[in-house]
Amino acid sequence: MKLICLVKYVPDVDNFKYDYENNVLIRENVRLLLNPDDACAVAFALRVKARHPETLIEVVTMAPTTVKPHMEDLLRIGIDRGTIISDRLYAGSDTYATSIVLARYISSQIYNIILTGTHAIDGDTAHIPSQIGACLNLNQMSNIVRIDEEQFSETSAIFDVETENAVVTYEMALPSILSITRESKYKLPYVSRKDMERNVSEAINIVTNKDLAFEPEEVGLKGSLTKVISTYTKEFDKKNRIVVKADDEGIDLVYKYLKDKGFI
Amino acid sequence: MKRCLIYIDDINIQNSIDLLEVARQVYGDDTYETIGVNFNCNSKASMGAFDKIVQVMHPEIKIYDPVAITEVMAELQIKNSFNSILIPATPFGRILAPRLAMRLKTGLVADVTAISRKKDKLEVIRPAFSGRIMAGITCMSDGPLMMSIRQGVFNYEGDKSKPTEIINYEPKNFKDGHINCLYKKEKEQTYDIRESDVLVSGGGGVIRSFHYLKQLADKLDGQVSASRKIVDKGLASRNIQVGQSGKTVSPKLYIALGINGAMQHVEGLKQVENIISVNINSSAPICSLSDIVVEGDAMTFIEKLVEKIEETS
Repeated sequence: MKLICLVKYVPDVDNFKYDYENNVLIRENVRLLLNPDDACAVAFALRVKARHPETLIEVVTMAPTTVKPHMEDLLRIGIDRGTIISDRLYAGSDTYATSIVLARYISSQIYNIILTGTHAIDGDTAHIPSQIGACLNLNQMSNIVRIDEEQFSETSAIFDVETENAVVTYEMALPSILSITRESKYKLPYVSRKDMERNVSEAINIVTNKDLAFEPEEVGLKGSLTKVISTYTKEFDKKNRIVVKADDEGIDLVYKYLKDKGFI
Repeated sequence: MKRCLIYIDDINIQNSIDLLEVARQVYGDDTYETIGVNFNCNSKASMGAFDKIVQVMHPEIKIYDPVAITEVMAELQIKNSFNSILIPATPFGRILAPRLAMRLKTGLVADVTAISRKKDKLEVIRPAFSGRIMAGITCMSDGPLMMSIRQGVFNYEGDKSKPTEIINYEPKNFKDGHINCLYKKEKEQTYDIRESDVLVSGGGGVIRSFHYLKQLADKLDGQVSASRKIVDKGLASRNIQVGQSGKTVSPKLYIALGINGAMQHVEGLKQVENIISVNINSSAPICSLSDIVVEGDAMTFIEKLVEKIEETS
């Protein structure tokens, strides 16, 4: 069985900095991490491999080649091949252009299933998995919290999807795209001590436009159908606030306020 | 005349009706027509709001199959050349919208929260970086303008007594996505924070005392909600999370305890009449949005206020 995991390396949004004067993101020295939902997809793939050791796992990402050390870490925990799709032509691609690039690479591979995350914490459009589904003519489902490992076969999968008020179990024919969320709690193992220095560079596969042969106007900024024309932080109406302490006087004021407004 | 197709997700029909407000903001004073589309269900609940409703009936279409629904929507678009397609950003809508956009080779803006016009150019606004910044986006494709729209942000208050025309539609093409629903387990229904008039909400500053919030919420006939920090710690379910990755709420009173109020949280507060924030740091972002800022410990605040309410009642 061959599993393809599609992942994205994202800036750590919890520690990200914004230049409010120039209204731009500070991208220098931003630490990259494997998008949390995507890490769950890779972790699930590794569970399948643990059960069926003959399983092959390929992780695919579209990114600058600087993510290579991150990809090597995945190889050191048991991934068989790490593919980095990288070409200057692809820079600035929106989700549409990104999807056609990824789909063209994947269509040249043989696989039983594509595993992805549901949301990326930076763009957060959740477009890529279903758009690739449309490109490759595969069905796709998001918000998966559990895939039944025992029933998981080359031809079908049974999985749970969490919605606002229910957990729904579906069965889907494979190949298809299953997009997992971090609520699944599938966790990546750490690199073991003996594997820390292991040379895995042979398993890294760099794919460029020489391989994929897109015309320049099909991809990157030129091939994108949406364009970000402005970014800003939201201005909120500031109020004439009253500041008090959490002492008797402050509580009295809050109490009176709630009483006047009819909340008590 | 411009024509706007709106997908009606039967999980929450009001959500789709509210997208009429998006159409109004997109087309302004131009004349336009709104066409709702639903699958294998009757149109009773959406009568009067849309100009037309396309009722798709097909025994083999499963309403949860993205492949089947996309195929029919694409067929409708190819036949009718709608100027725009609006889809609510429900879990299914967020699967359907990108798939359909790719199928139609048109650009899509996800999770839209506002529409703005700059010199006649339409700019669609959405949050990015988990809500930490807002991005204005324009579409450059020739196809229809497509958006998925964040739930609970737009509110339609227009005409609901239109003579809605119902069009029964039997699709020509049917494509099966080979998916089956085996079972559905409803979650224990607790409460919906979007329906509460009073929310007592906790953030990173009350990690240790989050469970005390209920005492105060009970006294005010309200409910407890939480910020992402509390949910990520596993102290509350995502169901009660306020903010970009949670829900958008509009209570009359919001008491924010130990909440910093970063943009991705405040993004979830819409038309909140009264905000009281309790924070050891009175310059936290939430404080500048508050009517009253209580500088101090949230636990002390809860104890004293509950005591005061008990005393006087």
